[in-house]
Amino acid sequence: MSSRLLAKRQAPRRPLQNARPAGVLLCATLLALFLSGCATSPALKDSTYRLPEHVELVNVPFFPQEKYQCGPAALATVLNYSPATPSSAKRSPAGQAGTDRAWTVSPAAKARLARGSERDTDITADSLVSQVFIPGRDGSVQPEMLAAARRHRRLAFPIRPTFDALLGHVAAGDPVVVMQNLSLPAFPMWHYAVVIGYDLAEESLILRSGETRRQITSFSRFDATWARSQRWGFVLAKPGRIPEGVTSRRAVDGVSAFEALHGTRAALSSWQALTQAQPDNAMAHFALGNALYEQEKPEKAVQAFSRAVAADDTLGVAWLNLGLLHAEQEQTAKARRALEKAAALPGQWQPQAHRALDTL
Amino acid sequence: MPYLRRYVAMLLIAVLALGSLPVAAAQTAGLVSTQSALQADTAASDRERINDVLARADVQDQLLAQGVSVDQVKDRVAALSDAEAREMADRLDAMPAGAGVVGALFAVFIILLVTDILGLTNVFPFTR
Repeated sequence: MSSRLLAKRQAPRRPLQNARPAGVLLCATLLALFLSGCATSPALKDSTYRLPEHVELVNVPFFPQEKYQCGPAALATVLNYSPATPSSAKRSPAGQAGTDRAWTVSPAAKARLARGSERDTDITADSLVSQVFIPGRDGSVQPEMLAAARRHRRLAFPIRPTFDALLGHVAAGDPVVVMQNLSLPAFPMWHYAVVIGYDLAEESLILRSGETRRQITSFSRFDATWARSQRWGFVLAKPGRIPEGVTSRRAVDGVSAFEALHGTRAALSSWQALTQAQPDNAMAHFALGNALYEQEKPEKAVQAFSRAVAADDTLGVAWLNLGLLHAEQEQTAKARRALEKAAALPGQWQPQAHRALDTL
Repeated sequence: MPYLRRYVAMLLIAVLALGSLPVAAAQTAGLVSTQSALQADTAASDRERINDVLARADVQDQLLAQGVSVDQVKDRVAALSDAEAREMADRLDAMPAGAGVVGALFAVFIILLVTDILGLTNVFPFTR
């Protein structure tokens, strides 16, 4: 009895028997996909529907990808393009209600949007391969895409990971490099493409992608593939320009990374632009203060630090630098006041503020 | 001869001592830099800086192991921000590497074909 069972167990299975569970699994998976609702169009904010209905940045050049090199191709596409009008989307009058007014585009600006200068630099996809491609991975990773853009003297800003932000950037005239997983999470097929336009009525995006110059993809299909990279994307700008709609922390991080690579002199104009574009951004004023100080403009640095603490009273590090700078200028009373502020704020700058107070 | 040696030694001491000075002299006020202020949410800055140096070395080794050429790797690592270098040191292997459409996997052809038609994926151009 038992010997027969054993024999049965050891008997070689027929191929069909093996395939059946796999088939059942496949059907179940597909059924589940069907039932879970196919790709749905992403829900957009009301403010997004106030954008121009159709935008296409037709002058964005095209670099068809070779082999696995969509990273260099996408990067060359945006490096060779700079928007015609710096930050051309004008802010609408302040009276308009709504939280995300940043995306509203004036009709005049809209007319200028489509124009842009093509090929103002001479970077080919081939020349970028050695800067972003990782042979062992047959691809390029996200941090290196940003870093390579920085090496070509561009500011690189990851965008807010929402569909509204994506459309907003395109409407403001900035093509967006996006990372997609074109396939399923289980068999990933990671891909970089450049979003250059959209049509709100048709719910479609226009991309420079792979070997296709003008690929039209529906919002829903794109969002399904884009969501798999946590909706990662970035925009580029030349120093001294902050693209419309970049969030405050990402803007500061982006300029700071540029500064670390190219030095304060090269970053100064960008800090100034950032403080103008985002007057409430305390960290930007703080950073501008540091840059001005290193450029030996202590008086202006004091002003910048003062604006930083005016924008955010709790920014201890700005109080600290303001105090240290006053101390250097031997304005003891002012120094003491600022340093006492810094010492009173909880955080890692407290000990340093106390030490500075002791030496006053 | 012993005299010469003594002079050389004195000269060396003087040069080395002077060489270590200007760094401290340049930044008199000792302001906190933007980059270290941005790391404020993490631990103490000295330890952080050491970690950053190590992270960069680590990223460089990993990239070399992945076939990046020796003469390029230094510039590539230098262009990373501290946060990016740390991220890559921690999880380069798990990081998605954008490669593109070329080379679709035949084994999963059918599944992807169906999901393409459903609008969940974007692998085959002819399903659009």
